[in-house]
Amino acid sequence: MTLAWRRLGQSPWLFAGPAVAAAIAFVWLPMVSTLALSFFDWSLLRHEATWRGLDHYRGTLANPDFHLALANTGLYLAALLPLQVGVPLVLAFALARVRAKTAGRLYRTALFAPSVLSFPVAAVVWLWLFNPTVGFLNTLTGSLGVPPQRWLSDPDLAIWSVIAVTFWKSFGLNLLIFLAALANVPADVTEAARIDGAGPFRQAVDIELPLISPALFFAVVTTIIIVLDEIVGAVDVLTEGGPYRTSSNLLYFLYERGFRHFQFGEAAAVAMLIAVLVAGVTWAQFRFGERHVHYD
Amino acid sequence: MSTTTDAVAPGHRTVPVARPARPAARRADGQLVLHAAFVVACLVTLFPLAWMLRTAFAPSHDVFRATLSLWPDHATLGNFTAAFRLHPVGTWFANSVVVAGAITLGKLALSVPAGFAFGVMTFRGRDAAFVLVVGTMTVPYVITLLPTYVAVASIGLYDTLTGAIVPVIGHCGFVVFFLRQAFKSLPRELFEAARIDGAGPWRQMLGIALPNIWGAVAAMAVLSFLGAWNLYLWPHLILDASEHKTLSIGLKLFATTGEQGGEWGPLMATALLAALPVVVLYLVAQRQLVSAFATSGVR
Repeated sequence: MTLAWRRLGQSPWLFAGPAVAAAIAFVWLPMVSTLALSFFDWSLLRHEATWRGLDHYRGTLANPDFHLALANTGLYLAALLPLQVGVPLVLAFALARVRAKTAGRLYRTALFAPSVLSFPVAAVVWLWLFNPTVGFLNTLTGSLGVPPQRWLSDPDLAIWSVIAVTFWKSFGLNLLIFLAALANVPADVTEAARIDGAGPFRQAVDIELPLISPALFFAVVTTIIIVLDEIVGAVDVLTEGGPYRTSSNLLYFLYERGFRHFQFGEAAAVAMLIAVLVAGVTWAQFRFGERHVHYD
Repeated sequence: MSTTTDAVAPGHRTVPVARPARPAARRADGQLVLHAAFVVACLVTLFPLAWMLRTAFAPSHDVFRATLSLWPDHATLGNFTAAFRLHPVGTWFANSVVVAGAITLGKLALSVPAGFAFGVMTFRGRDAAFVLVVGTMTVPYVITLLPTYVAVASIGLYDTLTGAIVPVIGHCGFVVFFLRQAFKSLPRELFEAARIDGAGPWRQMLGIALPNIWGAVAAMAVLSFLGAWNLYLWPHLILDASEHKTLSIGLKLFATTGEQGGEWGPLMATALLAALPVVVLYLVAQRQLVSAFATSGVR
């Protein structure tokens, strides 16, 4: 083997190149293509593209179904952000104060268990619990004297049912994040606060909370990503966005335009709008983060 | 129970107490309340899974009984055989194993060398390449969906497992990032010594670095497998024929076909099959998984 060949075989690009190529081929190139696609009418069958300029953006922004999907996405976020951050946070503080280590580990295992499931598995399990005639929930409410509910087909209730399933399936992730962050808080800091007479509540709010703020920030971001990027598995199985689109969201709207009606150009415009939203939220988070988050 | 653990808890005996400690009885009460609250929280959290188990093993006449009892009187495997009769559940399971396994191997095959290059090697353009790979973490997945779909369809990979697998492997930004941190944490002298012994970069990576970061690799393998096993939207778009589906998307087909009123027993049996591997994997590899999730949050 000549020296040149050997050097080529040891080139760092042989190590990093495949990952770079994959990132370009499967993420960056498709991203640029989505932008391009959003300016065209595109037919998958005929491979024909017609220039439409900003028509798809105008059409989408004027579409009442899009408005509903946008408003619903706002509702998903408004409900899930406090739930997915608040509840795991309280649980993490409490769990960190459980002194019996084995019990604490058991609690953590149980609370995280739903989070390893997929959205469709979680959704199918709840589909059964929600069943209006023989589902467990109506059996339970019935035994309490509450009339049976149509959990998934009542327009006022459906989105809340999807929110409940999403919460059940994903709060464990934030719990783990908070627990790991709390474990990193130096013991002497909390000890000092305790000796100074701070009760467990004061310790949590005044000492630990500021110290784990990067984790808090991360939990907010993961929740936003779940709502904008992942929830579709739950929506599709539970309600297909219904009834009357009341539980639809931006991602589901994109799925319908693109893959039910095969309006790729229009769906690409929706994808760009979602991406702008995600970028905006991330940017706002970072700006907020710079001012309020301790990276210490 | 909490009082006995108090006595042995390290740190509590050695801590100097500057002011009178609160009465031990009150502290024990606090622990008791905590345990009670957590037992309730865990039962509520686990209940839907318990109900899935109950229904999966209940004979059909028991499934539709309005009941609050947690276990059927006569447990049976009939729902599993019924599920396999109604849909190609065995094939779905095999497809899920193939898809999740191939995605995991593919991601590791890309990420281990890349993580080694970014963490240990120095070369021109390294930082730019690193941003290009790890920056994919910030790209919402939906934005890649349509062109990837068009590309996969136009090269004839629609409704094939290959089409469902290959594009996902490219989304390995986090795995690269995590492994790079692991490689970076190794002492440089380790590689200096190997270099003097004449080991090239491949031998340094495979023979020296990798054995020292098995924990990190295992964590990423488990994380990738979980993620791939649970994938929904992409395989849902690409896989069409029933016998090409994975369990995750087969479940949706199962839930929406058949007479209204549903085959709930067989459906829960199938859901159990879809949940079982990830739950077992989680219980076995809990330590690695927790560390992986934790690092993703804390840096």
